Amino acid sequence: MTIKQLQSAIQELKQTALSDATPGAQKHQTYLGKKGKFNLLAKKILDLSPVDRKKAGQLLNHFKSELETILAHSDAGESGEWVDLSIPGKKPDVGHLHPISQAIAQISRIFERIGFTRVRYPEVDWDWYVFESLNMPPDHPARDEWETFFVDGPTHPDLGKLVLTTHTSNGQVREMERLHGQPPIRMINIARCYRRQQDATHTQMFHQFEGLVVDKGINIQHLKGTLDHFAREFYGPGTKSRIRPFHFQFTEPSFEVDFSCHICQGTGRVGKNKCRFCKSGWHEVGGAGMVHPNVLKAGGIDPSQYTGFAFGWGVERTYSLKDHLNIDDIRLIYSNQASFLRQF
Amino acid sequence: MNILIPHNWLLEHLETDASPNDIQRELSLAGPSVERIIEDGDQAIYDIEITTNRVDSMSVRGVAREAAVILNQAGIKAKLKPLSIPNPQETNQLPLPKIFNQPELSGRVICVVLSHVQRTATPSWMTKRLQQVGMNVHDSTIDITNYVTHELGHPCHAFDYDKLMATGGEIRVEEAKKGETFTTLDGESYATVGGEVVFKNSQGIIIDLPSIKGTQNTSIDDQTQNILLLMESIKADRVRFASMTHTIRTIAAQLMEKNVDPHLAGPVLKRGIQLYQELCLAEVASPIFDEFYQTKPPRPVITPLAIFDKYLGIQLSPTVISTILKDLGCLIELDETKTNLVVQPPTFRPDLTIPADIVEEVARIYGYHNLPSRLMPTAIPTIYPSQTNFDWEEKAKTFLSLVGWQEVYTYSLVSQDLAKTDGLTAGRHLKLQNPLTEDRVYLRRNLWPSLMEVLDQNPLETKYAVFELANTYIPQTDDLPKEELILGLASHQTTRQVRGVVEALLDYLFVDKYEFIPDQKQLVTTIYATARNSQSQYKLGTLAIKSGKCLVELEWKKILAVANTHPQYQAPSSLPTIIEDLTFVLQPQQAVGPIMQTMQKISPLIINVTFVDQYHQNTTFRLTYHDPQHSLNSNQLKPIRQKLVGKVERAYGARLVGKV
Repeated sequence: MTIKQLQSAIQELKQTALSDATPGAQKHQTYLGKKGKFNLLAKKILDLSPVDRKKAGQLLNHFKSELETILAHSDAGESGEWVDLSIPGKKPDVGHLHPISQAIAQISRIFERIGFTRVRYPEVDWDWYVFESLNMPPDHPARDEWETFFVDGPTHPDLGKLVLTTHTSNGQVREMERLHGQPPIRMINIARCYRRQQDATHTQMFHQFEGLVVDKGINIQHLKGTLDHFAREFYGPGTKSRIRPFHFQFTEPSFEVDFSCHICQGTGRVGKNKCRFCKSGWHEVGGAGMVHPNVLKAGGIDPSQYTGFAFGWGVERTYSLKDHLNIDDIRLIYSNQASFLRQF
Repeated sequence: MNILIPHNWLLEHLETDASPNDIQRELSLAGPSVERIIEDGDQAIYDIEITTNRVDSMSVRGVAREAAVILNQAGIKAKLKPLSIPNPQETNQLPLPKIFNQPELSGRVICVVLSHVQRTATPSWMTKRLQQVGMNVHDSTIDITNYVTHELGHPCHAFDYDKLMATGGEIRVEEAKKGETFTTLDGESYATVGGEVVFKNSQGIIIDLPSIKGTQNTSIDDQTQNILLLMESIKADRVRFASMTHTIRTIAAQLMEKNVDPHLAGPVLKRGIQLYQELCLAEVASPIFDEFYQTKPPRPVITPLAIFDKYLGIQLSPTVISTILKDLGCLIELDETKTNLVVQPPTFRPDLTIPADIVEEVARIYGYHNLPSRLMPTAIPTIYPSQTNFDWEEKAKTFLSLVGWQEVYTYSLVSQDLAKTDGLTAGRHLKLQNPLTEDRVYLRRNLWPSLMEVLDQNPLETKYAVFELANTYIPQTDDLPKEELILGLASHQTTRQVRGVVEALLDYLFVDKYEFIPDQKQLVTTIYATARNSQSQYKLGTLAIKSGKCLVELEWKKILAVANTHPQYQAPSSLPTIIEDLTFVLQPQQAVGPIMQTMQKISPLIINVTFVDQYHQNTTFRLTYHDPQHSLNSNQLKPIRQKLVGKVERAYGARLVGKV
């Protein structure tokens, strides 16, 4: 046998296989079974001269995969075998990212797109970073808002007690220190936080994200621009943000941040009725403000040169306001029930 | 703090045509947030959040003052009505108690004796208002003090004058020593810790916890005929100390700890007298005692005119700025350089201390919604933190979820039982000083107890396989705890399945070389991997079997050390590889790992040994032979195969199925 003869034998066998209407399994046996037509042909390699055997091997290998494709197509019904196209699909077993991870991923991307750097800072931190450097000396009434967990452990001579971070704002002075007090700063800090409270809208552990921007010439317009960017990207086009007066010790001026309600488009009314989803067309989501000069000083930044803004609020609350998500008890998020999680 | 204010009470201090909806909208945009309007019949009651720095707004009149400025700026006519309370006719009918104040403890003490106080029922209009704002109703004598506090914002207290005089007729403002006792008017007994500011009588007995709560020994009861109406200005930090120490969080304490303007005490006293005269037919029986160590007015705030542009990004005209500040009660003038405003805040605004405070006042009244919105034109920072790689965290988590694993978030805080299950004593964990619930007391050092708990909480989910990437907390003697990010996996799947997932994950993260070293006795496998550049080996973590569950913990930091962003591509060899399967009958409980290692060592031509399948004791291995220099043929393989089979049969008592 010569190579040429082998090539034409291959062609012939290929045509036979293509026109063969035998049902799948049997056809497979005929062509690729142990004593099938392919193996019979392959044995003829011994008839070739040793010089040609390598080339023959390659031809046969290629043909074998061609045959496999032809037979696979036969299985799919091309050979006339009946296939039930109404059978529901067989899904692979997949798990799910936790809704908080999904929200964090989305939030990170939204801010990274406008030049923010995501960071991570301690969850158990010194009082200095959590409160005192943020213009909240010990025993200050403003601390009442933060139901703080204290941790048994060493007390630092300068930085104070060990606490569980009640907010991601401990990242503010830490980020200033990481950059040696040298702006520009555009930080997004997303982390677990802890407060001593528990009900349908509070869990002892939750997540916050904190933005901090410091540079020369940063003003309230930039905060508004950043909030509008987030609202539009996270909740969809048409969502607006607004800021209203509030008070935090570590920002001045301080704001409450609202996003317009997607159910009533910020009007507070659905038809003739009050919108049940929001307060007068808006959702309160968190706090913001221009960084207090004392906080800039605590982070080694000269407040006469630089200004900045900061904002921070809960991931759970922000996420739960998503269009038609329908989570009204955030404790569900940490229930770890399969029936809940597999919906995400 | 929230305060409830009925619309018609507000209108006693505010002249306006604004509707409740107007008031809600405009106040919320520029001042205190009106969280909702409660409908009480045809009356609107505002539920208003007052921030902690604005104790001056914690009253009907305080809100009216804010509303007058805000509504006007919004183009709705409004005016704060003057507070017109007649001056009482002072008499000398009864002697005042002797008052020994210490100015460093209380900046002001003002009081008057009222006699012939008739114990009348609270009139219906006052009853209605008190109920509308959520207060209990008693009788006029008691309710007047609460009413006045709510209306004007300075707490006041009515003593039983006769009880006070019976024990010596003295009020001594003093700092308590440790261990002194007192009983509050609701019958609760306390012992001082030392440092609380108290009122004592001449015998040193505590007769009041001023600015917080009255005591039983001087409080009004059914027999009371004469009262001493008194207001004091205990230093705010002292009020807070005593109130927090004894957890007596009355409205009075919550106000006074925030620096209520002592100037308010005068009008409040007069308003109180007016109401006692009208409702209880009381007579003014003494002169008004007023010891007022005039605190200095808030310091003027030198505010550069340029700062408004710096914070707002627009230039406001000096007229706009000065009009707003004057409306808010500030006195202003330009300094000699004409570049700074000298702003003198009113006495009720001690919160205005720095130029940014002045900016806030102007900006909020001007309206934040009137400012443009735009993104920063400044430089984007490019110094990123080391040690973190959020992309890889997401990549690993996404991978695991797509191969069938469910991500969970469990609490970092665990119960004592759970803390103990990790084989360490609970004492080696960080403990909360003030836990809220018993199941969240310790900061965990391992993830797996929490993950096992998740599996146990889902008993019907026999295929549940869960993972979490979260911190563990290792206490340090003189420092913050070490927070180690751990990737934990737990499932009911077989060890082989779970190990396969870990292997696939490491492959996905382009980890070049890893190995699993089993400890058959402990049912633990330790996972090692090698870094591409340094060739250093890292212990990534372990895979263990506990209570029939398979558990993995990997240190994320170590994974980062061995992971790569890309593979090292190897071009396929032009020389053939030969693959063959060999099946052996193994001894019972023979581990396959060592056999595979033995096979691998037989010849350098064996480039790979994989496990194919196991059926009872029949175990199939797949061998891949390759010679990078020459084309392999079956004659070369024969001696290798014979050596391999011989070695495996001798060393492990195995038997090849078939013949070599």
